[in-house]
Amino acid sequence: MKRNPLSALLGAALPLLLWADEPVQPDKNDACLTLNNRILGPRTADRPLPLLSGDPARGFRSACSVSWSALSPKNQALPVVGCFHGSLLQVANDSACGPGLGQLWVNSRWVVTSAELDQPQKRVATCQQLETGAWAGTREFSLDCEARKKELSPESLPQATTPSESAPPATSAPSKPDTSH
Amino acid sequence: MTRKATRAVHTSSAPQPAIVWAALESLLLASVALFFLNLNIYGTASVSKRFSQDLVYAWFGNEAWLYPRPTAVAGARVVAVMLDERAVALRGARWPVPVQFHAQFLAELEVLQPRAILLDFLLLDPASPADLCEFLSVAARLRHDGIALYLAVTQPDDLSPMDEAACHDSQGQPLRATDVFTPVSVQRQVDGSDFVSRRYPFEQRADDSLPGSGMPSAAVRMYCDTERAPAACLARLTRDEPPDAGFELAWSPEGDPFNQRWSHASCIETISPVRAILNQPALPRESSCPPVATLFATALLSPEEDPALGPGNEQLFKLADRAFLLVGGNFRGTGDLVTTPLHTLLPGVYYHAVALENLLAFDGQPKVRKEFRSPKIAFYAYDLLVLWVLAAIFLWRQRLAQRLYPKHQSPFELSNAARDWILRVIAGCPTPLWIVLVSLLLLLLATFKSLQLVAVLLTILALVVIELRVSATAELQQRRRGLALYLGAMALSLLVIAFAIWVGYRYLRLPPGDWLGYFSFVAFGFFVAHIAILEFGRRVDELRRGGGPVQ
Repeated sequence: MKRNPLSALLGAALPLLLWADEPVQPDKNDACLTLNNRILGPRTADRPLPLLSGDPARGFRSACSVSWSALSPKNQALPVVGCFHGSLLQVANDSACGPGLGQLWVNSRWVVTSAELDQPQKRVATCQQLETGAWAGTREFSLDCEARKKELSPESLPQATTPSESAPPATSAPSKPDTSH
Repeated sequence: MTRKATRAVHTSSAPQPAIVWAALESLLLASVALFFLNLNIYGTASVSKRFSQDLVYAWFGNEAWLYPRPTAVAGARVVAVMLDERAVALRGARWPVPVQFHAQFLAELEVLQPRAILLDFLLLDPASPADLCEFLSVAARLRHDGIALYLAVTQPDDLSPMDEAACHDSQGQPLRATDVFTPVSVQRQVDGSDFVSRRYPFEQRADDSLPGSGMPSAAVRMYCDTERAPAACLARLTRDEPPDAGFELAWSPEGDPFNQRWSHASCIETISPVRAILNQPALPRESSCPPVATLFATALLSPEEDPALGPGNEQLFKLADRAFLLVGGNFRGTGDLVTTPLHTLLPGVYYHAVALENLLAFDGQPKVRKEFRSPKIAFYAYDLLVLWVLAAIFLWRQRLAQRLYPKHQSPFELSNAARDWILRVIAGCPTPLWIVLVSLLLLLLATFKSLQLVAVLLTILALVVIELRVSATAELQQRRRGLALYLGAMALSLLVIAFAIWVGYRYLRLPPGDWLGYFSFVAFGFFVAHIAILEFGRRVDELRRGGGPVQ
């Protein structure tokens, strides 16, 4: 069957377009995006720094774990060139884990930044709570249900999408439990 | 057999010496008691026994004599690491947690330099070969650093899809999942009567397979790997057990002090036994501060979530350095929850964490119920021995009381004078009226349970006052002596029970539920209910000696 090249292109691009509207954009109000924010050094000298490659759109991957001297051979402060959710910092180094991985990311838990030093030290931890509610609902896991959730018209759907090409599954919220008893 | 024939058989028997007869009599009574203790029609006895055990842990689970928590022991800290939606979103991922996230998270945990890591996730979702190889590469690096890695599986070949990815390490050598991960069972056990997870399985194996041939449970395997001879440890813990055997989980209501940094509830939980007496809830409603130190993954992945872990992450390293890290999920609606012996719900990873703490606390000798022991009859014989001693004390007190005060069988029995006084008072009221009044009173007590304790106390007080007013002085003095004798015998029985509990718990490794029944005999005079068997025994003995009539 011969397909229109334009529709084939649209079909192939649709999963990417759907993916693009997912909430994975970098935060605009991250403290780590402060002007001239730099990584000054590791918090603990004798621990490795786990580095990531990738980006928010395509996802992150574990790249390698190196010492600070490998990340900054001259022991200089490294400028922060990107930020994700205030905790992942992208540094101007694309060689610490080998070539071809792009600029690398590090968890701000393991490094000291200039922006952090400019802020007053917070002493309290965020309160957490364990999820111990028993829900009488089925959690949605199926990858194939994504299109139905988006309520797309049949015309706009691609001809064929494999599970690996489709967007990540949207987890439906479980129904509210009856708390009356 | 005819009367004549029976006499012909037994007339040659000599009378038993008093001491022998007393021993036989108490043995008979103890045997009856043992039978009734283990009478379990429709499983009702199991429910009450286990609930009593839960109360023991709720009230005394903080005490070192019952549950010596291993948190103070260097290098034996168990930490639950909780992944939730927020943590996964910090890396742009979402449920179900992708393999790439696990790889990244393992790399983050590597910084903490733990002793071992358990991933309490079933990695059954399909993943690309590249993702699987990245995951295995990170795991291999941790393994090379001396960090033991354990992965939850449902069956041994769950790891096969990872091997199908044909991954290679940096030297080009094949990288297999079993080379870096130790597969462990995460199967859960519950008591069939109330679905509470009090037991932790030693291994997961089929009914028809041999002991020790199954897949060890996560905590068992992790503990044994710390021993000098892991294989011997595994063999010891899994030998001679039925397939559904497990050890009892001692549980503490007190939260780990580390959790106070994030918990909105107090971690110093004290549940007083008085609450149960006052008919109030005797168990906590929820475990807002769990007994195992808990590190939320969000705190690890984002310093903004918990900035108080120290400028150099000192608190973090103090918590996790050489610790056992058990990574589990805390995702809403996934259903990975465990009903704890305190009847609260917690994420499933705590089941393994507490099991590992139990193994560490009891030096690999956890408490195991009698039904899973071998030879089983030896442990029931121990119960019989203890009950025999208790029965002997009971009968000794009965005989002494009868000899000293033949008019009074029990110090709690009303005197004839008091009975007459009460009868006269009741007789002053028309029969239909007092019956209706009593019925109404009992209806009220059945309806309003808070009144029951008050009613019992008022009744006892009233009877004591009546007895003091109407009884003769000599009779009261006799009653006081009888009461002192009763209390003395009870104190002696309690000493015997305390000793039996110490031996049973410390050396025979029996859980508390197995010895709670002793108290019912001493505290409530349960023997009285079965005293008829002694009369039966006497008659049989008389018959044996040819003195008794045979109908």
